[in-house]
Amino acid sequence: MSFNGGLPIRQILVALVVIPALYLVFNIYQTGSVLVALAMLVVTCLGALIYLWDWGYTYRYLFPGLLGFALFVIFPIVYMVFLSFTRYSSQNLLYFNRSLALFLQETYPVGNATYTYKLYAQDDGTYILYLQDDKDPTKRFASEPFELKAGEQVKEQQEPGKLSALAPGEQVKGRPMEVAQVTREKLFIPMRGRQFALPDGTLVGMEGLQKFASRGRLWTLNKDGSLSNTKDQTVIRPDFKQGYFVNDKGEKVGVGFRTFSGFDNYVRILTDPRIQGPFFKIFLWTVAFSGLSVLLTFSVGMLLAVILEWKELHFRRAYRTLLILPYAVPAVLSILIFKGLFNQQFGAVNEFLRSIFGVAPEWETNPWGARVMILLVNLWLGYPYMMLICTGMLQSIPSTLYEASAIDGSNPLVDFFELTLPLVLPPLVPILISSFAFNFNNFNLIYLLTAGGPKMVGGGIAGETDLLVNYTFNIAFRDSGTNYGLASAIATVLFIIVGLLAWINLKMTGRNVKI
Amino acid sequence: MTAHQKILVRKVAAHGFVVCFLILVLVPFVMVISASFRQGDFAPSRLLPDKVSLDHWKFVLGIPYQEVVNPATGETRTIKAGTPPLLWFWNSIKISLISSAGIIFLSSTAAYAFARLRFKFRTSTLGALLILQMFPMVLSLVAYYVILDFTGQHLKWFGLNTQAGLIMVYLGGISNYIWMIKGYFETIPATMEESARIDGASQFQTFVRILLPMSLPIFAVVFILSFISYMSEYPVASVVLQSSDNWTLAVGANSFLYEQEKLWGRFAALAVLSGVPITVVFLLCQRFVIGGLTSGGVKE
Repeated sequence: MSFNGGLPIRQILVALVVIPALYLVFNIYQTGSVLVALAMLVVTCLGALIYLWDWGYTYRYLFPGLLGFALFVIFPIVYMVFLSFTRYSSQNLLYFNRSLALFLQETYPVGNATYTYKLYAQDDGTYILYLQDDKDPTKRFASEPFELKAGEQVKEQQEPGKLSALAPGEQVKGRPMEVAQVTREKLFIPMRGRQFALPDGTLVGMEGLQKFASRGRLWTLNKDGSLSNTKDQTVIRPDFKQGYFVNDKGEKVGVGFRTFSGFDNYVRILTDPRIQGPFFKIFLWTVAFSGLSVLLTFSVGMLLAVILEWKELHFRRAYRTLLILPYAVPAVLSILIFKGLFNQQFGAVNEFLRSIFGVAPEWETNPWGARVMILLVNLWLGYPYMMLICTGMLQSIPSTLYEASAIDGSNPLVDFFELTLPLVLPPLVPILISSFAFNFNNFNLIYLLTAGGPKMVGGGIAGETDLLVNYTFNIAFRDSGTNYGLASAIATVLFIIVGLLAWINLKMTGRNVKI
Repeated sequence: MTAHQKILVRKVAAHGFVVCFLILVLVPFVMVISASFRQGDFAPSRLLPDKVSLDHWKFVLGIPYQEVVNPATGETRTIKAGTPPLLWFWNSIKISLISSAGIIFLSSTAAYAFARLRFKFRTSTLGALLILQMFPMVLSLVAYYVILDFTGQHLKWFGLNTQAGLIMVYLGGISNYIWMIKGYFETIPATMEESARIDGASQFQTFVRILLPMSLPIFAVVFILSFISYMSEYPVASVVLQSSDNWTLAVGANSFLYEQEKLWGRFAALAVLSGVPITVVFLLCQRFVIGGLTSGGVKE
């Protein structure tokens, strides 16, 4: 172990990180997330070992970077793959336990005891509920003070509040509020979601605006995991395939829950016509878009690079600086600006075309118009990068080659196709592939420019210009049919395709560059 | 035609082509600048504004101004941005600067290990970094949401709707930069470091005192590239940052273009305001950037 100037700086630094981390682990453990706490504990100990003992020297450089990478790149992928094997959507949103708890909290009015109620506002902003039995006015109850947020619906069922019997003549503290006032101040909204338990365990809840009435649990849990309805004696049991509770007739009851579905989501991509139709269409467009984008940006970039490499041309530097401007502007802004320029009715592009050629292409409503627009915009955004790369490549070609070919009496075109291109293309292949992969997932461009529009006829939420990544995003986050499970399955397929491309790229690069 | 004339014709053709192309490329820029000074909210469509007004600029800079509500009576009202859009620009700069600095710290140390040290699974880890990074960030949003929701319950500065949380997410995307820096490290001969080791320097000292100062150009490239990519990042920022005083430029700028009402003037002013400094920095450093791009071949 080395000591810097007497002070064990490294050890102190490790302690400064490890001690708060351990405190955090303890905190997380106490809130019940045992697995997360355990994982964090392992990582913390591993980190401490690496930075304190000599055998971990190499990993000291890797640890922080790889930790971030694991958390924000690898974990999301693993999580996505995991979700793709589950049924998890807006219909099957809750965990099974939460769904079960909702059933067990459901109540219905039982018996015929009703109670008149008053709320007593306390000085500290809390309230006490006071109940008086309508038939037997000597039976009076009061609750503990509790909080109410006016106008706010109770989303999660809480434990019933305890009511205790009041002795004759005993008064409740605080400022009494009558029904009218409770209604006016919108306190009845959160009150409706609450339940209270009488001393004998009977539940009471609001019945209409005026009264409280006793309520019973609607469902009782049987030993085999099924639920019995206390009102009409029907039995429902969880169906883990569908992610729903079903009754004897097989009908779904209540809200669904998340459940494992095996390969269902993947099978659905392949067989469900509503998914499959758009999926393959979108896949084709994604491939075409990426391929054409690479081809266009590369051709234009190469052409400009070749022209600007011509030593006798004046203003070369100024041209180059101006030509890479589109690369310097944040792409989000330029994409949105193009959205305005290509506006079908008022946009500058159509205004110009109308005045010169008398045509106004439908950039927004016609799928082909939209596709052409996307390719044009992507050309504008992408050619500077290709131009820069090609410039670098061209400069690495020794000029003696051209001199030799000039002696043979060649012209620039022949020079380019027979000399330049065969020389620069092989080292450019990995760059072209990674550009293809980048465009394959070019979410921003489509999201901001067309949002996938125009809509695909009969394709549900699919749009004619959606890339696979946008389509997946829409399935996961947009509209009513949010389906995380299905979206994850598509994302996994997508990842395999792009991952393969990256792997091929790696192998090709590996031939030239040793890693 | 003589050879001299031939070259002249070619020169004219080359200039002609490049100038025409440049006009097509630059017209949008001019239109945006004009839209930001144009009275009313029109999509960029003119090279020169017909009625010049500074209202959009005042709005973006957070200066109150008078707007005529009723032209007949001349009634006006004062308009001032609730959240000054300049704040979004500042947020973006802050987030991008911190993220880029963090990226340089994380990726340079990792790249050092990959370039100079030997350990098990070195090659396969490098390959895995490259392939796994291909997973689109947008599709990780569900997982980011889960992570930040969880961290927010325990460390409230790192939760949802915090800039620190967003920066933390951004710091995950280091693998391209590791590759770039590693490539650069490998072009520097290790002999200097070896002789320093013989003179008694520790390995860490050779890294900090010798390798890092020699690699400043590649750090400039990584810094600029990551800075630009974070300035432009939209989807993750729009999910993580919910309240308007936390927004970044990209999220804020997009908020001016609602489906019903497109506030092009304000958008254009904001675009010019934020585009200019980035463009200037980029152009100043273009020599570095070109060098880095051609050596690493990585684009975000």
